[in-house]
Amino acid sequence: MTRWRALAGIVAVALLAAHDSPALSAAGALEATVKDDRGAPVADAIVSLTPTGAAAVAPHAATAVMDQQNKEFVPQVLPVPVGTAVTFPNRDNIRHHVYSFSAPKRFELPLYIGTPAAPVVFDKPGVVVLGCNIHDWMVGYVYVVPTPYFGRTAADGRVNLADVPPGAYEARVWHPRMRGEPDKTGKPATITAGEPAQLAFVLTLKPERRAPPRPSYEAPQS
Amino acid sequence: MHFRSFRGRLVVVFLGLFVLIQAVGYLVVGAFVRASARHTVEEELRLASVLFTRQLAVRTQQLVTATRLLSGDFALKAAVATADHATTASVLDNHGRRVDADLLLLASLDGAVIADMRGPARPGTPFPAPRLIAEAEAGREASDVVVIDGRLHQLTVVPLLAPEPIAWLAAGFAIDDRTAADLRRLSGLHVSFVARQDGRTVVPASTLDGADREALARQLPEGRKAGVLQLASGEHLLRVEPVGQNVVVVLQEPLAEALAPSQRLLWILLAVAAAGLVLALLGAVLVARRVSRPVMALAAGARRVAAGDFGTEVVVPQRDELGELADRFNEMVGGLREHERVRNELERTTRLKRFFSPHLADALSAGDESLLASHRREITVVFCDLRGFTAFAEAADPEEVMQLLDAYHAAIGPLVFEYEGTLERFTGDGCMVFFNDPVPCPDPAARAVRMTVAMRDTVGRLLQGWRSRGHALGFGSGIAMGYATIGRIGFEGRLDYAAIGTVTNLSARLCGEAQDGQILVSQPVHAEVERLVEATPMGPLALRGFAKPVVVYDVAGLRAGSVRP
Repeated sequence: MTRWRALAGIVAVALLAAHDSPALSAAGALEATVKDDRGAPVADAIVSLTPTGAAAVAPHAATAVMDQQNKEFVPQVLPVPVGTAVTFPNRDNIRHHVYSFSAPKRFELPLYIGTPAAPVVFDKPGVVVLGCNIHDWMVGYVYVVPTPYFGRTAADGRVNLADVPPGAYEARVWHPRMRGEPDKTGKPATITAGEPAQLAFVLTLKPERRAPPRPSYEAPQS
Repeated sequence: MHFRSFRGRLVVVFLGLFVLIQAVGYLVVGAFVRASARHTVEEELRLASVLFTRQLAVRTQQLVTATRLLSGDFALKAAVATADHATTASVLDNHGRRVDADLLLLASLDGAVIADMRGPARPGTPFPAPRLIAEAEAGREASDVVVIDGRLHQLTVVPLLAPEPIAWLAAGFAIDDRTAADLRRLSGLHVSFVARQDGRTVVPASTLDGADREALARQLPEGRKAGVLQLASGEHLLRVEPVGQNVVVVLQEPLAEALAPSQRLLWILLAVAAAGLVLALLGAVLVARRVSRPVMALAAGARRVAAGDFGTEVVVPQRDELGELADRFNEMVGGLREHERVRNELERTTRLKRFFSPHLADALSAGDESLLASHRREITVVFCDLRGFTAFAEAADPEEVMQLLDAYHAAIGPLVFEYEGTLERFTGDGCMVFFNDPVPCPDPAARAVRMTVAMRDTVGRLLQGWRSRGHALGFGSGIAMGYATIGRIGFEGRLDYAAIGTVTNLSARLCGEAQDGQILVSQPVHAEVERLVEATPMGPLALRGFAKPVVVYDVAGLRAGSVRP
């Protein structure tokens, strides 16, 4: 549940940022559905709208939190706009060693307790895979998008992006298990005031990878 | 030993049976021993292959574990992430030493070699076992035995997780001739690794020498699990176990070596059989002799009996069926002997009775027949016949003639026997009898005269009836005394006892001269019986066949008081 709460917080930040836009006169919306190649709805896919043309919205500096709780990353997937400073508070009573070798952001927080003094700023778009050097099963994702307009699909594979200024956008989708790069999923989308734009994505998902086993006494608490 | 003899056949049958039984036994036991030995070896091979596969699995597990440990190394991940390939290769070299791996490779997610512990990798070199990467990608344990650069490796692939896969780490132990030799030391079996590579069969590691190795590569049929294979150094029993996708391990034992113990057993069996054959031969000969000796003795006995030796007796000491047979044989010969004796006696008596009185004949038959052999002796010969018989025979009916002769013979026959004369012959109305032979008697002449007188009286009474019927019949006789040659004459089946000499002729001539009722005797006869008889000298008679006239006496009758001696 905490994960969902945290996500809601992030979305709220994004929407607030959108509202602050002076260009906003009458907001439009996008209704997107994400299915896999067998037609099943895909939950937890991140759909983003990036403005095309000159009127690119400069991302606002924002902050986000990626907890380590009960030896898991919480939330597991954290979508953030470019430039977001993410803190990695360790809520466990043991140390963690968080790292990423992903190209958009390489960093390492060697064994620490509590919240590291400096947050990590994700200044390039892309997928950043997080790991913990001493807990092989811990996997987390920070998905850095170059736009404030993004959302997560629900269990029915639907997501609504509201309060999007009308204009030309490129819509992208990303999911941790999807095959291919998110850049290649781009679809043009025109947002107008009034009727929400409709978009449908079809993803090919990799089978759920068996992560290195977590010791049985370390069963995740819900 | 003659093959066709009973004894020979017995021995041959005996030995034949023995050899047959031994041969069947040898073959059956031999087949069983071989099958059992082979089965034992096959079982050994099977067990070895189980242990072997097990050991390989343990080794694989060790390799997987070690590789996983290496893959978790943060520095390695960091080096890979920096794309500093030289450093990465150096880390691989270092880490390979940690786990004593012969091969450590790093492949990119798209299957190209990034780094190799053995030195700098050429960029874009494809990973040699792409199937293993696919396996690892699917989350399965990815291990196999593969040929890499001509060498056999036990290879495993694990992902390098950061924490998602960023590369594939492959580690391998080499399998070479030394590995095979180690395994041979452990199992005592020949160990070969056979791989299919690019459509060819290769043997990258083996304990076999070059020629056998080539033969194995050439001849190992695909899909074969066990069996016998002909290699350069001979036949091998083998067991094939797959150890990798395209690699099998072949465990072998030379067939000759495997069957050596059973071969030794078969030699021993053969030696025992040979010794048994010698013993059986001795036994057969002994038994055959024991059986055939009495049979041969019986045969010899039967031959002697057939040749007429009824004194034969066969001695068989053993108390079994053959002893019984010999006893019955002896009994049978005894019966034959008795039968022959009785028959001989009967025959002799019958023969003797023709000439001699039954009494004499019996006496003679009880004694020996040499009495009847040809010899010379002084005898008294009586000749007698009927006067006027020729005329009677012409005039009378044949029935009457026979009737007369029957009566006549019936009258004089008993007298011959009564006076113990020897009846030489009957000739119609005539008859010749002599005395002092074959059994000598003290008074042949007296007996002759007494008998003749008795005949004259008897025949005289007989003739009276015939004369009264008108027949002119009379009885005359002559007696002479002298030496004659006496013995059997004639041929087998028709023998007579005859006396040949002047005395016979003389008595016949005297009989011829005699008138009815006359008994004419020669001078020597008269001299012998002078005191017994009343006789009248008749003066010398000229007789046919005699040069000088003969003095003859006519015996009228016996003196009173001398009727019986």
